[in-house]
Amino acid sequence: MIESMTGLSLAIVGAALAVLLAGIGSAIGIGIVGQTAAGVVTEDPDKFGPTLLLQALPGTQGIYGLLIGFLILQRTGMIGGTPMEISMAEGWLFLLSGLPIAFVGLMSAIAQGKAAASGVLLIAKRPEELGKAIIYAVMVETYAVLALLMSIMILFGI
Amino acid sequence: MPNNDRYAYAVGRIRAMETRLLDRGKIDRMVEARSAEEALKVLGESEYGEYLADLGSVHQFEKMLDAELRRIYVELRKISPEPDLINFFAKKFDYHNLKVLIKANKLAEKRDELLVPEVGNIPLAELIRAVGDDDYRNLPSRMRQAAEKLSELLRLDPDPQLVGLLLDRAMYQELEDAVDAQQSSFLKGYFTSLVDLINIKTYLRVRRANRPKDFLQQALLPSGNVDMNKLVQLVEPLEVLVDRLMFSPYAQVVEEGIQMYQKTDTLTRYEKLADDHLIKYAKQAKFVTFGPEPIIGYLLAKENEIKMIRIIMVGKINQLPTEEIKERLRDVYV
Repeated sequence: MIESMTGLSLAIVGAALAVLLAGIGSAIGIGIVGQTAAGVVTEDPDKFGPTLLLQALPGTQGIYGLLIGFLILQRTGMIGGTPMEISMAEGWLFLLSGLPIAFVGLMSAIAQGKAAASGVLLIAKRPEELGKAIIYAVMVETYAVLALLMSIMILFGI
Repeated sequence: MPNNDRYAYAVGRIRAMETRLLDRGKIDRMVEARSAEEALKVLGESEYGEYLADLGSVHQFEKMLDAELRRIYVELRKISPEPDLINFFAKKFDYHNLKVLIKANKLAEKRDELLVPEVGNIPLAELIRAVGDDDYRNLPSRMRQAAEKLSELLRLDPDPQLVGLLLDRAMYQELEDAVDAQQSSFLKGYFTSLVDLINIKTYLRVRRANRPKDFLQQALLPSGNVDMNKLVQLVEPLEVLVDRLMFSPYAQVVEEGIQMYQKTDTLTRYEKLADDHLIKYAKQAKFVTFGPEPIIGYLLAKENEIKMIRIIMVGKINQLPTEEIKERLRDVYV
């Protein structure tokens, strides 16, 4: 199988990993917040709006993953052009460029989900502190953004 | 690390429900009320409000508390991803009912009004049948063994004290088994404190009744951290007990509780302090995001709240001075 692999297939593996892992992370993160929010809204339906805001936060990692996946495909000509001939060495570089957002996306989305779920619990008690609850959850976002940045820099350095 | 995400929904609901617990302000307003009727009215804006309309007079306030207790257990059984957690706390009602029924059946002490239906794990009808037929096969093993032994002993010696002694022992053994099965260090810590505080109280009572050492041995529960049998002799002065527990978590409870006990000859203060100690322990649950702790904390907070309303209402109906009611009041969870 290895012999039949080209540089292009390595690049596609990179794109797939970025979308896969970051997407899984976001799904888990949003799921946790959703469960907690459902509990709070059962008792207090007025909290739907603020809890939805918090639930959306861990969703960004999945979007970052998709962005990197999309950029990899575009740079290799899979989208909007003819697929390029890429050497194995270059293929590895494309694959590696997907990894920062893949792994950091996975872990940070779950961590952010937990922080946001705690935020939901916070506003269950103190609805006026929504801003603070969001800030705590958004702090986690920093590291997803840094990983996205590194993925982009590698990608455009190739 | 166990995966506690399955508690996400439950904790969300619990935290929202906690906002409706009675706070210090409402409790104080009830205590300051001029009459029992007025005290009850304070509850109008709380979760108890819905029962108030059905209450004929203030003397029926127990009906309201029973209904609320039932509601909490039904609700928490639905919410908790781990039903055994609620069953653990419901066991005391099974044993309570069994005690009442056995006393009624074997000792002709009929007190049906004390029965607590629809809260425990075992249907009341099943318990009535078991006691009526003297057939305890369907009951949990610890309960069954105790009940069978009890029924034998009561035939020879109809001593009502035996009922409490044997069944309490069986209950705490069953609870200990359940705690080990739950693998929650929070629950284990709570249970250990509960048993220790009961054992200290038992020691004081046995001592006061001038009972011999082997009676104490029988009355003490086995699963605590503090071994009262070894810690202090019945003949030693109480100061020795206070000294020996100086560096235990119960130092404050024991010191102040025993001081008041020596002064007033009642354990009221000790009981209040012991309850406060347990509520303070339960408050740790507030800092847990996901896990069984918030559910346990809420259940204990609610039971504590019901106990407080009972103290206030009994005090108000009997026209006790406000100060005296305040002394008996427990800490609040919120």
